[in-house]
Amino acid sequence: MTATSNGGQIRPGLWHTVNERYPGSMITKSDTVPLARLRRPLAESRLSFVSTAGVQPTGTLPFDVVHPVGDYSFRRVPSGAAPADLEIHQLKYPTDGAHRDLNVIFPIERLQELAREGVVGGLTDNFFSFIGYNMDPDLLERTLAEELAQAVADEQADLALLSPA
Amino acid sequence: MSLSHLRAAVTAGDDGTLIRYVRLHVGDGDEAAGRREIDKAWIEALTVLLDMPVVDRAFVLDTLGTRDRATLAHLFFSLHFHLVQESGEWIHDGDL
Repeated sequence: MTATSNGGQIRPGLWHTVNERYPGSMITKSDTVPLARLRRPLAESRLSFVSTAGVQPTGTLPFDVVHPVGDYSFRRVPSGAAPADLEIHQLKYPTDGAHRDLNVIFPIERLQELAREGVVGGLTDNFFSFIGYNMDPDLLERTLAEELAQAVADEQADLALLSPA
Repeated sequence: MSLSHLRAAVTAGDDGTLIRYVRLHVGDGDEAAGRREIDKAWIEALTVLLDMPVVDRAFVLDTLGTRDRATLAHLFFSLHFHLVQESGEWIHDGDL
């Protein structure tokens, strides 16, 4: 599903392994969209962050981790939030370390620091999070990916950091 | 396993593929673990009822009689994970 800017697949061995266990869940795209180039220096750019970590503001509707086909929704995470304001709902990766320091999986404080230090021009008001257990690639592309891309664009991001959990 | 494979299995009556998928889901990708997890949920449900505690059957009957099949199916999966968690033997890496 993910492709590098030169059209090659990232970690092709992983594709094979996952597809053996979950046939059809990992797909190869032939219509690769090239990565966009920055239009302004990093120090003047607004950074957004998109993560599959299942991180969400405490008290919001938990991600649907029990659904056998997945959850195709995303949550907005205020970029100024403190880790104590956030919680994790997902089943598929170890969270022990993240519970001690959320930044290991969702580096919100590190990104806040980069903004304060002027490394990046600023942060979008919201970051974004969803869960990675989604077994319908077509639905993922039609709904979650489109809606998420639009949400990032609506935040007037100049660049987005994408991070799988 | 993608949705298209699951739908094809439903059409073909391939129950083996479907139950394997359930086991993979509840076993975090490990079919043998998933089989044990399903057993664990049923054992937990049975154990809880052995002493004949009072149960809210009105709630159960109202839920079964008034909610749509999709919600009930989701409840079935939810109860599986809930009972497994209540058993104290949680194999999953993350949290509900």
